[in-house]
Amino acid sequence: MEALDRLSDHLSTRLLDLNLAKQEGRKIIGYTPGGFLPEELVLASGAIPIGFIRGGNHDMVELAGAYICHWIDTFWRAQIGYGISGDDPYYSIIDLLVMPITDNHSRALMDVLDDNTAIEIFPFGIPHTKDDPAFKYYLNGITRLKAKLEEVTGVEITEIKLKEAIDLCNRERELLREISLARRSRKVPISSRDFIALGHGSFLADKQVMVEVLESVVKELEEPVVSSHDGPRILLTGSTLAQGDSKVIDLTEKAGGVIVIEEFAEGIKPYWESVNLDGDLMAALADCHFARRVPPGWFRPGRERLDFLVKLAKDFDVAGVIWYQLMYRESYKVESYYFPDILKKGAGIPLLIVESDYDSAEIETLRTRVEAFIDTLRR
Amino acid sequence: MAKYYDELLKLCGFTDRDITQEGLRIEKAFQKLELGPEDMMNAEAWVRQHHDIELLGVRRILGLWIKELVDLVLCRDEGKKVVYYGFPTIAGPGMAIKVAAPEHVYCSCPDAVLCHSLGQIFNKLDPVLEAGEQNGLPPGHGLCTLQTIRVGGMAKGIIPVPDMVIMSSYYCDMGSKTDELLRERYGQPAIVVDGSMDSRWGEFPDYRPERVKFLGAELNKFIDKTREILGLDLTPDIWEKAMAFNKAVRVRVRELTDLMKADPQPVSIAASELATLLITASTGRSVTEGPEVIATLSKEVRERVRAGIGVLAKGSPRVMTFLTSFTDPSIARMIENAGLAMPVMFNSATLRMRPLESTYTTIGEKRAEVQLEVGMFHSSYGLAKRWAEVVEDFKLDGSIWGYQFNCRPSAETSHLIPKFVTETTGVPCLSLEVDYYDNRIYSAEALKTRVETFAEMLKSRKAEGAA
Repeated sequence: MEALDRLSDHLSTRLLDLNLAKQEGRKIIGYTPGGFLPEELVLASGAIPIGFIRGGNHDMVELAGAYICHWIDTFWRAQIGYGISGDDPYYSIIDLLVMPITDNHSRALMDVLDDNTAIEIFPFGIPHTKDDPAFKYYLNGITRLKAKLEEVTGVEITEIKLKEAIDLCNRERELLREISLARRSRKVPISSRDFIALGHGSFLADKQVMVEVLESVVKELEEPVVSSHDGPRILLTGSTLAQGDSKVIDLTEKAGGVIVIEEFAEGIKPYWESVNLDGDLMAALADCHFARRVPPGWFRPGRERLDFLVKLAKDFDVAGVIWYQLMYRESYKVESYYFPDILKKGAGIPLLIVESDYDSAEIETLRTRVEAFIDTLRR
Repeated sequence: MAKYYDELLKLCGFTDRDITQEGLRIEKAFQKLELGPEDMMNAEAWVRQHHDIELLGVRRILGLWIKELVDLVLCRDEGKKVVYYGFPTIAGPGMAIKVAAPEHVYCSCPDAVLCHSLGQIFNKLDPVLEAGEQNGLPPGHGLCTLQTIRVGGMAKGIIPVPDMVIMSSYYCDMGSKTDELLRERYGQPAIVVDGSMDSRWGEFPDYRPERVKFLGAELNKFIDKTREILGLDLTPDIWEKAMAFNKAVRVRVRELTDLMKADPQPVSIAASELATLLITASTGRSVTEGPEVIATLSKEVRERVRAGIGVLAKGSPRVMTFLTSFTDPSIARMIENAGLAMPVMFNSATLRMRPLESTYTTIGEKRAEVQLEVGMFHSSYGLAKRWAEVVEDFKLDGSIWGYQFNCRPSAETSHLIPKFVTETTGVPCLSLEVDYYDNRIYSAEALKTRVETFAEMLKSRKAEGAA
């Protein structure tokens, strides 16, 4: 796809561009990728948001072992490795790291970086439930964030600037939604690999460029699908799908499966909801990013997401679900015990659970399991 | 006629009258628990080997745990409403429910009760753990074994499905998620008491008022939900009474803890742990009989202190652990046998609390404020800071940060707390990966090498200091 080439070109010089922007006085705001940070606030402050979505590298996981035991989720241990080693250059150029504290795994990163690096961190807590006190706490968190961003950038986040930023981010979400929904067709117009690349790109790219790329993709999708991917349609879900962690996608594709929809708490930016521009904009941000957002596995009750997965399975007419989780993310592990029954009752399809610690030694075991599952679906 | 359980019960401080009074209930509970004559013999040997049974106080505390176990196993059959809470927990909610309807409610942390009874006394927790592993919490994934015990207990039908569960959602993800699993399976109503530990490393003792408001609102929600689900009105008077009950037991525990500071250490930490955890796990026997039984133990320990009797040599290096094993007293014994005195567990230490002039008005907010002041539910840094303070206050020679490997709030501090404590106090802190609830892998033998090496280092430091 031409649009993807453009995105790739843009990202290849992104670090250079960010350094130039920084020299011109713009602030770079890093954030961890759970979808709870309203990028709109960062953009409205004139700063540049950068999501830390790299993963898949076992060396970084190993490196974290000097700072934390291995019973913490793989992705977050990898972030400790990146953050401390400087292997991810984005960690070195940020002026502030904003951390929505979701569960104890993200909290581990905050504590370890706080104790071992000079990175300035701004945490704000994400409640695990969706009642009224929780909504107020989230709203308070992003209101504090707004003040912090104004302090760091020296720019007042006005109503007008915020509305412009929301418009831009809403456009990005609408386009991602449109592209994703196109995959409901029997002739799948875009591969999961490409869709995920767009999603990952949206954490790093200039927002305006990203929107233009997505608009180009939509145009390209309007053209007749020449070659479609055949094979059992798959829903891929789990805790985190990081950039560089493509093992399960590679194996599924090689085995002949076609991933047509993904649902992840981290690594795939939520695109199902848009911010409502009526009324108080801060409350509207909280409504979209917290109240209406499909909750991750560590929310309690967590049934909303599981019901959503059943709905996705039906809407995208999938033959099976691959549940891909990283080691030691306990919320997902516990759910993986009772979700197969819910899925069977709700959509009548099977589920395969696979786990990873970003270790290359896992590959053959994963391959056997994925191949057997796709084979079963074919029959 | 003598029954197969008489000897064990007598060993655990039961009188003949107690056995006559409680015999039928005990028999019924033991049947449910599949505890037969052979188990009694094994338990007798285990108790004799690992507990200080020459002390009546220890025997009677073991007896209290058996009574609590029986209450737990039979509560549904005896027509009580059943309420469970998790561990660790904010002090108050469970006790308030119990105070509101003492005759009609059974309220406890069931997994902690099973650990202290089936584990500490019968050494027969493995079948429960295995049942938990087969019913949703498989081994090898770092899933909390305390929760595995709860799941296993319900799967085996030895503990009843509760009428209500209080989730410690302000601290750990695993407990809350396990309650979700159990709700999917059994339909148990659960109240989520949420919070967010989003304070930075270095922030304690400060905190933002929003944290108090959020946790406070969640605790107030718990009060409303309790009215809705159980029909119980948790009025301010009830809370006051609950906190008074709680304090009455804690005062007794504190007396015991103070006695443990003596050199030589008068009794194994395993004995004082049995007393300390009563108030955490139980709202029944801990209140009705706990203060008197703990006082009995304190009296005996006081006599030992007066006579200069100890379980370790005078002058042994003194260390602290977070807890001792909930299930296996041999682990505490192993540490003591390595020559390390353990006068205190962090869980029972008196903390340097600053005077609090609360401006909050609701029950929930007041409870939340206290919890944030304590530190453990504030942040990992709050815990680290408190740990360092206790090391200083008790003038310890070392500390053992035994982090529960499958508890994320604990595991995330595996390196942070030892580093912080060693740097701020100058006192060595050993990071030790443990499982307080399951001794199948993290046994005394498995931990021995690391502890012995640490003990040698402390002894040599102490000798150098004395020279």
